[in-house]
Amino acid sequence: MEKILEVKDLELSFHTFAGEVKAIRGVNFDLLKGETLAIVGESGSGKSVTTKSIMRLLPEHSSEFKNGEILFNGKDLTKLTDKEMQKIRGKDISMIFQDPMTSLNPTMPIGKQIMEPILKHRKVSKSEARKVSIDLLRLVGMPKPEARMKQYPHQFSGGQRQRIVIAIALACNPQILIADEPTTALDVTIQAQILELMKDLQKKIDTSIIFITHDLGVVANVADRVAVMYGGRIVEIGTVDEIFYNPQHPYTWGLLSSMPSLDTAEEKLYAIPGTPPDLLHPPKGDAFALRSDYALKIDLEEAPPFFKISDTHYAATWLLHPNAPQVEPPVAIVERMKKYPGSRYYEGTEGGAY
Amino acid sequence: MAEKLLEIKNLKQYFNQGKPNEVRAVDDVSFDIYKGETLGLVGESGCGKSTTGRTIIRLYDATDGEVIYDGVNVHDKKSKKDLKTFNQKMQMIFQDPYASLNPRMKVLDIIAEGLDIHGLVKNPKERKERVVELLETVGLNREHADRYAHEFSGGQRQRLGIARALAVNPEFIIADEPISALDVSIQAQVVNLLKELQKEKGLTYLFIAHDLSMVKYISDRIGVMYFGKLVELAPAEDLYNNPLHPYTQSLLSAIPLPDPNYERTRVRKSYDPSVHNYQDGEEVTMREITPGHFVYCSEKEYVALKAVSSARV
Repeated sequence: MEKILEVKDLELSFHTFAGEVKAIRGVNFDLLKGETLAIVGESGSGKSVTTKSIMRLLPEHSSEFKNGEILFNGKDLTKLTDKEMQKIRGKDISMIFQDPMTSLNPTMPIGKQIMEPILKHRKVSKSEARKVSIDLLRLVGMPKPEARMKQYPHQFSGGQRQRIVIAIALACNPQILIADEPTTALDVTIQAQILELMKDLQKKIDTSIIFITHDLGVVANVADRVAVMYGGRIVEIGTVDEIFYNPQHPYTWGLLSSMPSLDTAEEKLYAIPGTPPDLLHPPKGDAFALRSDYALKIDLEEAPPFFKISDTHYAATWLLHPNAPQVEPPVAIVERMKKYPGSRYYEGTEGGAY
Repeated sequence: MAEKLLEIKNLKQYFNQGKPNEVRAVDDVSFDIYKGETLGLVGESGCGKSTTGRTIIRLYDATDGEVIYDGVNVHDKKSKKDLKTFNQKMQMIFQDPYASLNPRMKVLDIIAEGLDIHGLVKNPKERKERVVELLETVGLNREHADRYAHEFSGGQRQRLGIARALAVNPEFIIADEPISALDVSIQAQVVNLLKELQKEKGLTYLFIAHDLSMVKYISDRIGVMYFGKLVELAPAEDLYNNPLHPYTQSLLSAIPLPDPNYERTRVRKSYDPSVHNYQDGEEVTMREITPGHFVYCSEKEYVALKAVSSARV
């Protein structure tokens, strides 16, 4: 499949009073045409910063690209001038933010807000832009779009506002849509509607989506591929089945085990001990080693490289090194692996090999 | 099950009562909470679950109805002294660990505030010891006592909120979305802590949340609210395996699970209140379908539900 965006060795730091915070420490991934890539991780893992650096939305005075490139249509986004970036932002790449309450302008009718990117990026008349906006509102499932164009954000519910934000993001048929926790602030039933809408729209306009979330249920629902971030790095990346049914990194194990499933009734929930690393002083080796039950000696000294599990599945953990001891993943993970052909715990319908 | 600790009878909480913009946030809700159990309360935002919690603890004055705690009506006029003993028994943990701790107070003073008010400690040394003991109970340590709230992460702050609630040795704790603002891995830590404390101290919880998978995990029984009404109340397992009210079914079918194969086949049901088609004069109340499983329904629906569930058994 065609690559639409390539992020290579991206490193980014923030300069703060306390010192240099290494928020992203070497991130690599590709985004393919028409796919949904989910990025998961805890707060502070660098998932939002990664996407904000793609959009160049980080404050220039305090953030600094240390290394790497972000290639979009052959252009390195980290090197563009503000003027050039403005032509891409909102047109080729657009963004849906987490909080629909604060991402709309409260003093402007929503129609005007949807027309804004259309007038800016497409050479159309005002009446034409108005027509497009009404079509967009209809597309995102807003009843009576003509009448609602004149209304202000406070006259809409949270779910409806998020639909408006999506309409604005889609106004110029972007090639890439970045959704930063678009449903976190919404109720489950509204969340389900918005996710269905996004999937539906993706099919219609054939855009690629980068979906940031910490809800693994949502990931299982929307993603084609998943990248798991921890401490400013991607620790595991693979297709949604590979990540959920054959995870290899201890952090992915921890994340998956700490979600209660609806059918198990264990006494105690697995909780990853400790807290995320302080990126002012990033640890030398594997950032997760100090919280991991599976840490090896080398984890404290040298950061693990990516080991290949399949053509689409990579994980950065020394456990995959040929010399590493064979470890038993947590019970909940073994249960998941049993469903996955190609994992060493797979129990086929034939009864398995041993 | 054990004895009733709390009886909520026909509780109503209307805002702007009598005006055109009247809001019936809680509309005739009745349920019991038993000693030592965790009752989960779920529903969408605006369904009145938080208002129910806040009215129970007397943060709001109820419009109508009764909240009976250990035989005493919470909303009756009380002397200062009675009110104080009541306040000591019932405590609350709030949703937002950032907004619920005073940024200008040291942790020591935040946690000790309840101790001071209720006169539970005699001198500064004892006060400090008690606070340290509480901090250790929730997995923090001695050094944290002299810090300010902004020096803590979200999960740690929620632990402080729990320590503050525990300070006065309460019997009953209302936890209003205590984990919604936290990361997944931290959520598990806080939930485990709440469970351990319950076991150790024999606490009773009212756990209000919208994350249904966590609620199922922590609760013994769960109540589902919709537009100010309690529509279903059942043991946790029973509610998930056998939801009877169409709204509960729709709510459960909307939860995404961390299982891609399940997600590919999950079909979402939507809830349309007009399916009930209640006639004028028809009495719609909570009726017991199977032991312990209550549904808000009419007589006609009751007969139908009864038939369905007996067929299943």
